[in-house]
Amino acid sequence: MAGEAQEKEKRKMKSAKKMRDIMTNYYIEAKTAGETGKKVAWITSGGPVEPLIAMDVIPVYPENHGAMIGASKMGGELCERAEELGYSGDICSYARSDIGCSLVDGGPIGGLPKPDMLICCNNICGTVLKWYEVQARYYDIPLFIFDTPFCHTEYADEAKKYVRKQIDEYTGFLEGVCGKKFDHDRIKEVGRLSVEGQQLWQEVLDTAMNKPSPMTCFDAFFFLALIVTLRGTQETIDFYRDLLEEMRGRVAEGISAIPNERYRLLWDNLPIWYRIKWLSEKFASHDACLVADTYTSAWCGSLKYMDENNFLDSMAEGYTRIYLNIGVDEMIKIVLEMVDKYDVDGFVMHSNRSCKPYSLGQYDIQRAVQREKGIPSLIIESHMVDERSFSESQTETRIDAFMEMIRQKK
Amino acid sequence: MITAGVDIGSITAKAAVIVDGEVKGTRVDFTGYNAEQAGRRVLDELLKELGMDAQSIDRVVSTGYGRNSVKFADKAITEIICHGTGAHFLNPQVRSIIDVGGQDSKAMVVDSEGRVRDFAMNDKCAAGTGRFLEVMARALEVDLGDFGAKSLKSERPSKISSICTVFAESEVISLISKGEKRENIIAGIHDSVASRISALAKRIGVGEPLMMTGGVAKNMGVVKALENRLKMSIEVLESAQVNGAIGAAVMAARL
Amino acid sequence: MEVLNDFYRVAENPYEYSRELKKSGKRIIGYFCSYTPEEIISASGVHPIRLFGTGGDITLADSHLQPYCCSLVRGALEEALEGRLDFLDGTVFPHTCDSIQRLSDIWRLNTNFGFFADVVLPVKLNTESSREYFADILKKFRLDLERGLGVTITDDKLKTAITRYNNIRRSLKALYEMHSKEPGILSGRDLWAVTRASMIMERDDLLVKLSLLKEALKKGGRSGKSEGKKRLVLAGSVCDHPNVYTIIEDSGGVVVWDDLCTGSRYFEGTIEENGNPVESIAARYAERLVCPAKHLSNTARGDNIVRIVKKHDAGGVVFLLLKFCDPHDFDYPYMKEFLDRENIPSMLLEVEDSLPSEAQLKTRFETFIHML
Repeated sequence: MAGEAQEKEKRKMKSAKKMRDIMTNYYIEAKTAGETGKKVAWITSGGPVEPLIAMDVIPVYPENHGAMIGASKMGGELCERAEELGYSGDICSYARSDIGCSLVDGGPIGGLPKPDMLICCNNICGTVLKWYEVQARYYDIPLFIFDTPFCHTEYADEAKKYVRKQIDEYTGFLEGVCGKKFDHDRIKEVGRLSVEGQQLWQEVLDTAMNKPSPMTCFDAFFFLALIVTLRGTQETIDFYRDLLEEMRGRVAEGISAIPNERYRLLWDNLPIWYRIKWLSEKFASHDACLVADTYTSAWCGSLKYMDENNFLDSMAEGYTRIYLNIGVDEMIKIVLEMVDKYDVDGFVMHSNRSCKPYSLGQYDIQRAVQREKGIPSLIIESHMVDERSFSESQTETRIDAFMEMIRQKK
Repeated sequence: MITAGVDIGSITAKAAVIVDGEVKGTRVDFTGYNAEQAGRRVLDELLKELGMDAQSIDRVVSTGYGRNSVKFADKAITEIICHGTGAHFLNPQVRSIIDVGGQDSKAMVVDSEGRVRDFAMNDKCAAGTGRFLEVMARALEVDLGDFGAKSLKSERPSKISSICTVFAESEVISLISKGEKRENIIAGIHDSVASRISALAKRIGVGEPLMMTGGVAKNMGVVKALENRLKMSIEVLESAQVNGAIGAAVMAARL
Repeated sequence: MEVLNDFYRVAENPYEYSRELKKSGKRIIGYFCSYTPEEIISASGVHPIRLFGTGGDITLADSHLQPYCCSLVRGALEEALEGRLDFLDGTVFPHTCDSIQRLSDIWRLNTNFGFFADVVLPVKLNTESSREYFADILKKFRLDLERGLGVTITDDKLKTAITRYNNIRRSLKALYEMHSKEPGILSGRDLWAVTRASMIMERDDLLVKLSLLKEALKKGGRSGKSEGKKRLVLAGSVCDHPNVYTIIEDSGGVVVWDDLCTGSRYFEGTIEENGNPVESIAARYAERLVCPAKHLSNTARGDNIVRIVKKHDAGGVVFLLLKFCDPHDFDYPYMKEFLDRENIPSMLLEVEDSLPSEAQLKTRFETFIHML
């Protein structure tokens, strides 16, 4: 037993505590914004946050909060609150639990700080538009919609012009709500920090290319919080530098994320927040390490369009061409690249009832991966934070069968 | 005036006779294949019991799923209206009614005259209905009639998290195989049913005094779980199962 | 009213009609959603028809779309994969909801009908830049059509198409108004067939038939009785279930107006005939009754449903929502709240490709109508 505890201790991520502290401080600052006179904006996870930071507005992410609700297994209960108001149990469980939470100030941190404004960018889905309309009515506050036309096959010139114009409208909106001029010098600095943070995050994720991998996608789901909530700050850069160092150290010392990494897998879609531990243990018991995922890399996937020396202009394209705002064939290309890059033996797809833009099209992606790479795949269905829609026994059987297939193949 | 109400449900047929504003008698039978015959039979049997003959009935209102098959009725009125009317007739203070039957659950809000102001019904899914309980009773190999009493003995209700009947059934089976006590599992099942019904009820804003009707109201475990969920007390009358038929007989007097 | 038969024939057998039309030499483009700028397609000389779900089983689409995708999207894909849309020369996907957005990708990768275009419309419609983008993207669509079909779309052709569609929309609105005034002249099912056929029938022929119908109605139409019937408004996405109208009528109600994508949202709002044609078309679509997948304001749809009820002296609203339709699911609670505030009763009915059992439907409608 002592050996096992030691073994566990060795594998523990040292940076985890630091990140928890940073996140706690962040939420304390956000929840006490009333005392410091700072404004609070609720913003979608893929939304352009840098202008907020440049204006000293505290960005708060209902989606990150949703993840926390899910991880604390409080999603079902809060979703039920929304259903009592007439919201269908079929809609996004982030939205349902957030709407429920606004009513009762419940959840793991007693609700989010009240927003002074809402920033909704539809590059991740159309659902956020409806969700933010609900909150705009509830809190009776201004809503800015940053409309990023979907790029099925191209980023059209017309869209380019439209999105670029909206950046000026966005900064104008912020000037109005904050009652001060937009700081064009500061945004250059924030943009530079944002790009650097994204680069570092990509480097962290890249360490999973090592065999055995020093981290799993479940770790990435956890460490993701900073690049989502605090991108554009020095703190994020410092943290990811340390994390990168820790990962490189693990690689050097041969510390792997799971005890016996025999099989390497790729995860698709958002996490099943209330089953992270269960899933990671389940796969580890099969000596399978989920080394990478399509989800956490979305926060650095459009780096190629970003120019830190011309941030505001390049941000238009960067935010419009993120992973979820592109056609299924484009997504297939990215998935195939990841299969090679991380050298995986199987593909685990979370068919997420909460997220149609991420999930519809998965069957076509699955077939393409099987056809091009010949690796087995698995589909697990759930609502990402509503545990009432999950079947443990069904999922368990599927995982076991999937792992048998992989074993036979290897 | 003598009136009768006939309520043809998916599983049982019910009849009630009212004479000058007073319930003379009620009866419950199985519906079987033929709704029209079931309606005729249950009313005839009741009349026989009461020593009355069919000629003496001034008017009949039919209700329930099979209401339109009851050709001898003067009018067919939905069970939602009849449950509202029946509950109000038996207790004029009642403002909300929850009716849970074999294949659906309904919630109603009524005004001081017993008129339905708003209502909600479950969708196609079996969660929150008598059917859900039946499936679970089969999985547990426990007689459904014992569910209420057994669950009241539970000290620590199990958590059944799935909404879906099929998933919930497999959760129940895995709880059985883990050796969980039956009463705890049953209490968990009742809470699961209650959570669906309370969501439906809250959507239309039910309030006290609240009455529960329909066959499932006989299950004290569900009633208790629902009281906990809604944080309201629920009145259940002896006549819960025949409430719709009584309401229909009351409506017949008003035609 | 014999002319009604023509509408029914087309509404009930749209594919048969389309095949006949195709034989006569017409090229046909299928489209989804009432934001499709039909005028531009029409000006290209190609005939636009609206695609709906399927009445049959869904099996082939199941290997592309999860069961939690709405039956309209799954059904449409089924029709394509089953080969029942073999008369199409192309398809157009305007950007609407997340599901149609992915259907576009899946359609592009798995079918081959020739011409294909995404018209990635703006999601918000209340800013200057979004309206400018709306016009820009329609101009791009015009060029896409010209290139893809090998045709020239002149301003004159556009203007003719604008006039044609303005006339169609005015006629449909006039019919709805006549019916609202005297519901007995047409059944709800009749009006369903007329509006549905209007999205399929050859449009010049349609205009002739619409005016014939108007004449017949002026003479009394079906001269059915509607006294004592409760006046209702139907709200939702698409209504693919004419039985709903019949059951409502059997239960003592009558639908006098709607807020449907296949109803008033299709015909409300005309196009300025003297301006720059494409910009005028864009302006009409940006200003028309808004669909929940677009943003006009935070309360546009709630205000609108109350306005419709008052204007048509209706006693209640029936929300007919397609299961798994997120945009409508999000709007329902607040729209109901707006109605509650005005003491307007409403009921919710969730449907898929098939309706709930008639018995259950009747129970709901009868109760609701009794309640009013």
